[in-house]
Amino acid sequence: MKRVTVVCSMIMLAIAIPLAAAAQEKADTPAAPAVAVVKFFGPILISSAGQSADVKMVGMMAKRLELDAKVEMMAKPEHLEGIKTLIVVPGFSSKGLGAAGISQKDEMARVVALIDEADRKNIPILMVHIGGTARRLGQSDDFNKIAAKHSKYMLVVEQGNSDGFFTKLADEAKTPLEIVKKIPETMQPLQKLFE
Amino acid sequence: MRKIMPGPGMRAIGSASVILALCLPLFLTLFLPVSVLHGQEAEIVCRENGIAVTSHPRATEAAMEIMRMGGNAVDAAVAAAFAIGVVEPHASGLGGGGGMVIHLLGEEKSYFIDYYSLAPQRVGELVNRDREKDRHTALSILVPGTVAGLTLALEQFGTLPLATVLKPAIRCAEEGFAIDETLASLVLDSAEMLGMNEATAEVFLDMGFPRMLGDTLRQPELAATLSAIAGGGAAGFYEGIVAEQIISEISAVGGVLTLEDLKNYKAKLSEPLRGTYRECEILSAGLPLAGGSVIEALNILENVDLRQMGHYTTSAATLHLMAETLKRVHSDRSALMGDPDFTYIPVNGIISKDYASSRFHQIDQFSVTPRRYRDTEVGNPVRFDKAGPGKAGAAEPRNANVDGPDDDGDFGKSTHDKWSGDIFDSFGAAKAKSAKKPRAENSGKSSRENKSGEKRSDEDSRDSSDKDDWNLEEAHTTHLSVVDAEGNAVSLTQTLGTFFGSTQMAAGVLMNCGMNNFSASGKVNNVEPGKRPRSSISPTIVLKNGVPFLVVGTPGASRITSTVVELIVNLIDFDMDVAQANNAPRFFCSKFEDFLHIEGGIAEPVRNKLERMGHSLRVHDGIDLFFGGAHIIRIDPVTGAVCGAADPRRSGTAGGD
Repeated sequence: MKRVTVVCSMIMLAIAIPLAAAAQEKADTPAAPAVAVVKFFGPILISSAGQSADVKMVGMMAKRLELDAKVEMMAKPEHLEGIKTLIVVPGFSSKGLGAAGISQKDEMARVVALIDEADRKNIPILMVHIGGTARRLGQSDDFNKIAAKHSKYMLVVEQGNSDGFFTKLADEAKTPLEIVKKIPETMQPLQKLFE
Repeated sequence: MRKIMPGPGMRAIGSASVILALCLPLFLTLFLPVSVLHGQEAEIVCRENGIAVTSHPRATEAAMEIMRMGGNAVDAAVAAAFAIGVVEPHASGLGGGGGMVIHLLGEEKSYFIDYYSLAPQRVGELVNRDREKDRHTALSILVPGTVAGLTLALEQFGTLPLATVLKPAIRCAEEGFAIDETLASLVLDSAEMLGMNEATAEVFLDMGFPRMLGDTLRQPELAATLSAIAGGGAAGFYEGIVAEQIISEISAVGGVLTLEDLKNYKAKLSEPLRGTYRECEILSAGLPLAGGSVIEALNILENVDLRQMGHYTTSAATLHLMAETLKRVHSDRSALMGDPDFTYIPVNGIISKDYASSRFHQIDQFSVTPRRYRDTEVGNPVRFDKAGPGKAGAAEPRNANVDGPDDDGDFGKSTHDKWSGDIFDSFGAAKAKSAKKPRAENSGKSSRENKSGEKRSDEDSRDSSDKDDWNLEEAHTTHLSVVDAEGNAVSLTQTLGTFFGSTQMAAGVLMNCGMNNFSASGKVNNVEPGKRPRSSISPTIVLKNGVPFLVVGTPGASRITSTVVELIVNLIDFDMDVAQANNAPRFFCSKFEDFLHIEGGIAEPVRNKLERMGHSLRVHDGIDLFFGGAHIIRIDPVTGAVCGAADPRRSGTAGGD
């Protein structure tokens, strides 16, 4: 029994190592399209699409980078007055919706109105997705899609794109997509975009 | 998510595939005895030599490791409870409290250990403060009971040394573990408040931003505290260096806990609350925990043959009856339940069959009564309490706390029996009568107060009745179930109050926010030094012919009662196996909002009929963590097969040998 176990374990290891290598190789491949040179300017309005708390993290980044930005979880078209860039942070949170006292339908209507107004005023939209898998699939993807579709640039933490979801959206909309490994690494490209 | 495509290495192992196919089952049997959930369906796991079901694979493994060393169910449950506090640090831990029900088959005896947190002596200084504002501060911290409760269980009923059962927890804290989906999502949601305490931020955040799925979470300070407990027992936590560090750190951020509070904390060993349901005996958590509510609900439901009525996912009549039952139970709990050491609680009346019968006959089979859930009347179980007020050690009943008779003026002798028709063919009649307008009742009380004028506590869930939003109070807390090879059983639920508790960390321990479980006014559940707040926690063991049949429990705040009752109904009335019971859609309603929450999966015709009966539905998208994370074990009374299932709503596992 012991011998069988050892043999099987060795076989499993022999299989697992090349498999892992192949997986790693594959994982590295869904690369983003070449990042185009895009510049954004302040003042910046940062809003959520889906009422997740991720927007507060992006607000914290903007503060640390000393960007001219304000966070409005429930931004409406009138908040775009004097704004030169709209940062949309997509991600659905039932807790967030509960705290705001609104339904998903209400939130989608708000987001659509905000984005439409930004488009009408030619205010560029920067989509920042930092929530990884926690802000993917289901209702989150409804907000991810609308934010991606209207953005001029997409900044995404890698885990949220592990299935190439944002790569596909970026390809379709021909929008530059920049992928970073971890949430704190979002700050560097964010800074560059506003230099 | 990523697809693994065959690479060059795959070609070299083509011939090995046959051997692999032969060896794989053996490999899985030998090395992967824990069945991990896949997708959103619970899986059934059956084992011969003991089984543990917890919210995290590492906690399940801790229990299995201890059972393999010869430990019994209590040893394993204590090991898992310490470990779950490390790997599910948001839901429970050394800084919180809980309760457990134990049944020892050899002795044919059952026990209940109450280790819920209690108010510190200086709590009077906090009485008039805004609890909601204080929730994520040191002012919400009660004296934690977890260490006292777990060590008491081990001393009384365990077989292995404390240092041995603590090993898995210490290992997890020292070496770290990969953050799972549930924790990643919660850290992301809570990052702002986690960042407000430096020590908490150090653990959960990376440069001020949330750690993510797959990241390693290490808790070296917590490991040191666990090691101090391993060396010194409960005193290693409640006295000495660790206690001094806790008090020093909590005091520095404004908390009122003292060294005396810690030193004086004692877990309470007693018998569980007992009831019966369809030839089974129910053993559940005593006061101030909510086993009595589970028994009350089952007693009411026992007045009908649910199996004949049909399952609540396909029968509106069944779901309506269960919802109306749970509304009344919740109403009673929020008005009458509290710490029996401070006030007379008519618990014997609440769990009596006669009282249940009176409550049952107040339910209208055709419509929601009263029209608004929040107007649900509190019952009067005092007359059914044979022990009565004035028993040794109990305070006299305070009229302000106990509701008087309803508009019938005589409980138990309802003059309009709303179930006088034949319930089993009532559904057709219900169609004809569904247009009947339910009684419009309004107590005139604020929705934040019950009839006795008591403002409700955190656990009673927040009010959303005046706007069209959903009650999305978090499904905090954790539950684990263990049965060993001898058939001994432990059902254990523990909590920090809400996810991440107060978010204040001391000596590596995340501290509870139990203050929010006290009511802001009234006498039953008001704050007093040394008092335990009421909680919905209901760890339960069901016996059949005197031996354990079911071990069940769930987290989920105010949903705990409804989820435990639904599971017991699924398992007893509908003969479901544990996976089916856990996969079945759930529902919830309470006194403090006017919505009947249901999960997706409840048939549309049922939903339509419920709406016609007067229920205002809130349909959740698929299954939802909101409804808890139940971990169940069933011991087949005929074959003796022991099977468990973790809840697909959480990241749990069932495992055993």
